Amino acid sequence: MFLEISSIKKSFGEGESKTEVLKGIDVGIEKGEICVLLGPSGSGKSTLLNIIGGIDNADSGYISINGEKTADMNEKTLTLYRRKHLGYIFQMYNLIPNLNIKENIEVGAYLSDNPLDVDELLHTLGLYEHRHKLPNQLSGGQQQRTAIGRAIVKNPDILLCDEPTGALDYNTSKEILKLIEEVNQKYGNTVVMVTHNDAIKDMADRVIKLRDGMIRKNYVNETKTPAVELDW
Amino acid sequence: MRNPLIKRLPRELKSEFGKYLVIFLFFLIVIGFVSGFLVSSASMKVTFGETFEKYNIEDGNFELFYEADEALIETLEKEDVTIYENYYIEKDTKDFESTLRMFKMREEVNLECVMEGEMPTDTNEIAIDRVYAQNNGVAVGDTLKVGFKEMEVTGFVALPDYSTMLSSPSDMMFDANMFGIGVVTEETFDSFGKGGFHYSYSWKYDEAPKDDAQAKEMADDLLEVLVDNAMVTEYIPEYCNMAIHFAGNDLGNDYMVMMVFLYIVVAIIAFIFAITTNNTIAKESTVIGTLRASGYSRGELLRHYMTMPVLVTLFSALVGNVLGYTCFRTVAENMYFASYSLTTYEVLWNADAFIKTTVVPVILVIVINYVILVSKLKLSPLKFLRRDLSKRQKKKAIRLNTKIGIMKRFRMRIIFQNMPNYIMIFVGIFFANVILLLGIAFPSLLNKYEDDIADNMICDYQYILKAPVDTEVEDAEKYCAGSLTYVAENGREEDATLFGIVADSEYIDIELADDEVYISDAFSEKYHISEGDTVELKEFGGKKYNFDVQGIYHYPSSLAVFMSQEHFNETFDYEADYYSGYFSNTEIEDIDEMYIATQITVSDMTKTSRQLIDSMGSMMDMMFGFGVVMFMLIIYLLSKIIIEKNAQSISMTKILGYTNTEIGGLYIMSTTIVVILSIIVTLPLVDQLMKYACVVMTSSFSGWFPYYVPTYAYVAVVSAGILSYAVIAWKQYGKVKKVPMDMALKNVE
Repeated sequence: MFLEISSIKKSFGEGESKTEVLKGIDVGIEKGEICVLLGPSGSGKSTLLNIIGGIDNADSGYISINGEKTADMNEKTLTLYRRKHLGYIFQMYNLIPNLNIKENIEVGAYLSDNPLDVDELLHTLGLYEHRHKLPNQLSGGQQQRTAIGRAIVKNPDILLCDEPTGALDYNTSKEILKLIEEVNQKYGNTVVMVTHNDAIKDMADRVIKLRDGMIRKNYVNETKTPAVELDW
Repeated sequence: MRNPLIKRLPRELKSEFGKYLVIFLFFLIVIGFVSGFLVSSASMKVTFGETFEKYNIEDGNFELFYEADEALIETLEKEDVTIYENYYIEKDTKDFESTLRMFKMREEVNLECVMEGEMPTDTNEIAIDRVYAQNNGVAVGDTLKVGFKEMEVTGFVALPDYSTMLSSPSDMMFDANMFGIGVVTEETFDSFGKGGFHYSYSWKYDEAPKDDAQAKEMADDLLEVLVDNAMVTEYIPEYCNMAIHFAGNDLGNDYMVMMVFLYIVVAIIAFIFAITTNNTIAKESTVIGTLRASGYSRGELLRHYMTMPVLVTLFSALVGNVLGYTCFRTVAENMYFASYSLTTYEVLWNADAFIKTTVVPVILVIVINYVILVSKLKLSPLKFLRRDLSKRQKKKAIRLNTKIGIMKRFRMRIIFQNMPNYIMIFVGIFFANVILLLGIAFPSLLNKYEDDIADNMICDYQYILKAPVDTEVEDAEKYCAGSLTYVAENGREEDATLFGIVADSEYIDIELADDEVYISDAFSEKYHISEGDTVELKEFGGKKYNFDVQGIYHYPSSLAVFMSQEHFNETFDYEADYYSGYFSNTEIEDIDEMYIATQITVSDMTKTSRQLIDSMGSMMDMMFGFGVVMFMLIIYLLSKIIIEKNAQSISMTKILGYTNTEIGGLYIMSTTIVVILSIIVTLPLVDQLMKYACVVMTSSFSGWFPYYVPTYAYVAVVSAGILSYAVIAWKQYGKVKKVPMDMALKNVE
């Protein structure tokens, strides 16, 4: 198993106000899979994604990528872990506002010993003509494509996407999902995508449904639909 | 109902307590110091004005070669004046190197003010000038060896005709180290013997002159009678006696410098407030958008965001003023009391100082913040809700060469993004460097001046004679000396010494043409006179002399004109072989002391620098400390804003996998580059400013200080800047480390 999630538990608060957000998550994801984490608000899907991403700690259990366990890592090795293995895409893009589009992607490229060609990637993302613009000069879809470019330019093993279409309209959302799918096919990254849009599960290889901090369903999608054909 | 936003203010104060506290303390010190200076100098000036009547200050004084007889006094008093004996004797002190001028206790004019202890009542008791005593470490009750007498110091006094310790009316710089005043009983005075008496007399007009013009007219009339009837060696009317007036003129003389200093500091802090508030507005833009959309007016929000800066300024100004009247007043008072022999004074309420140190700073903070914030808050509620705070439609990114590495470009972008902060850092560093360089370089400048003088003395022993007397000393060389006044373009008058030197002089190595002169480089530099120019000098009566400048002679201490002895004697109608002194490297012991008017030594020539070190030395250490604090405060506040403004991006770069060191290399290194560049770039500018300030400062003193800053002073300023910044950078690195990664995750708007 490429990505192994084992007995992950996480709670917030203390005493009477303590809330158990993840109540023991066990799941494995194969390399190159698109895995969609589905669930309503408060189900614990974003918390799980943050623990996989090494930006939050589990109370117990561990995450292992290719045999490397994040629980054993100190802050420095966790930083290196994120640097080496992960790419992050957020709902609100989180681009660096004072860097132009190309530079935002170069910030990602800098972290890799073997990054993708930035200009080529800009063409692939349809952003080449916008490369000298600042993020606030672009539409939401273009900004999200930039965020995807920043995440994949270092060709990470795992692409973590937290509601990547949450702030976008229908057509732009489909465009972004299509792009993620293309990236997955072209570079073979494992994609873990958090969403509450049930329709997106159809493009996944694996679907994990969470509710109240527990896995309710975990199945391989045998009838995968291309992103461009999704409808909601 | 009261505006509920007021409730945010205590929370704002609590959350930014460190920032407001350092600004408060900084303002407090600056305002307190300036207020203390204004209050004490104005109070002292009022008291000084009252001393003329209170201590019955003379209308003038003169000194005669021989004691005046009754007939002369009668003749003089026919000019509607009353003449008062004011004889003095001068003796060297044995415990430390100085000359003490002793008077009998005064009963009618120039009355003494007892500052500590009491007046002498017995023989071998003396009350001495307070400043002179302090400079030489003498306490009341100490015994002082004056000449050959052991005298007990019974008290410290201030004499109104010696508020500035000038030993001669022709001196332009006082020296309360090597020259002091004392008063003794009549019996003690007489016990020194008549041989050493200086027959000095004060006069008072029976009817006081109406104005300066009339005073001059009356003084000129008296001088005419004096010259006709006696051998006058000194003569000085009160209105031009700097020993009486210099202190009064100097009180509050630094007023403009203080005000400019205060307002520059206030303006810098006001801009820092505005930049900080701008940052808060950007952070709270959605809240502002919601409030504006809900009906809050722009004015209400503007007032809300300006309240804290104005309150902090007002509070620190009020407390600063209280401290100005109490603690800081004594700082300024000590500065003046270290230089001048002033009488006791009463602290007076100063409305002008209050307005300038409280009302004006608050107005300045209001105006600067209003101008900057009002345009920001003019944006529509929708723009605030969308976090789009740019005034222009869409701000374009500056193109950078993509061959430059991404990290370098990243840093450049940070610099462009924070340009207002960095401009303020540049301005702040400029002023901090002025203060730092002044604090370090000023003592060096004075020490160099002293060394230069010692190195360039014409000879070891320079004598001025009362009348030509021959000597057997082999290396003694005759010369003529005189004094004329140079009137500068701005009307300022300064005495220049004229030397008439023998051909092939052993002491002054210049080939003089018959009718031309050399001038000292001090004269040349101070008044921009070059070779080929003609210099016009005038004597006391107004007669003018023109001299063609043949060349410049290296004589750095004072204004001097060198000409041949023949040229000198011909110009001033002396016999061809007339001379008035000797240059010698051997002490002349075969001339009776009564024929020697003055023996000029190195210490005579360095009194200006010595006095400046005494009166301003401790101030320079304070300035250095203040410069470091100002430097650190400005950079801390502005670099803190840069980290806070970019917290979201810092959080994101952490998620991407950047290490704290790499992030520090971006956000802190940008500030480091700007700070180091600012230190280096401002230094030559500061140097030029200091050079100009040195010219302005020395123009008010006699002689000339060649501008000199030792290399180590520049190194010290740069090092102090870098070390101070290192502390700030270390603090900001801690801030970068503390930025949480979930900050980027919380950005869900």
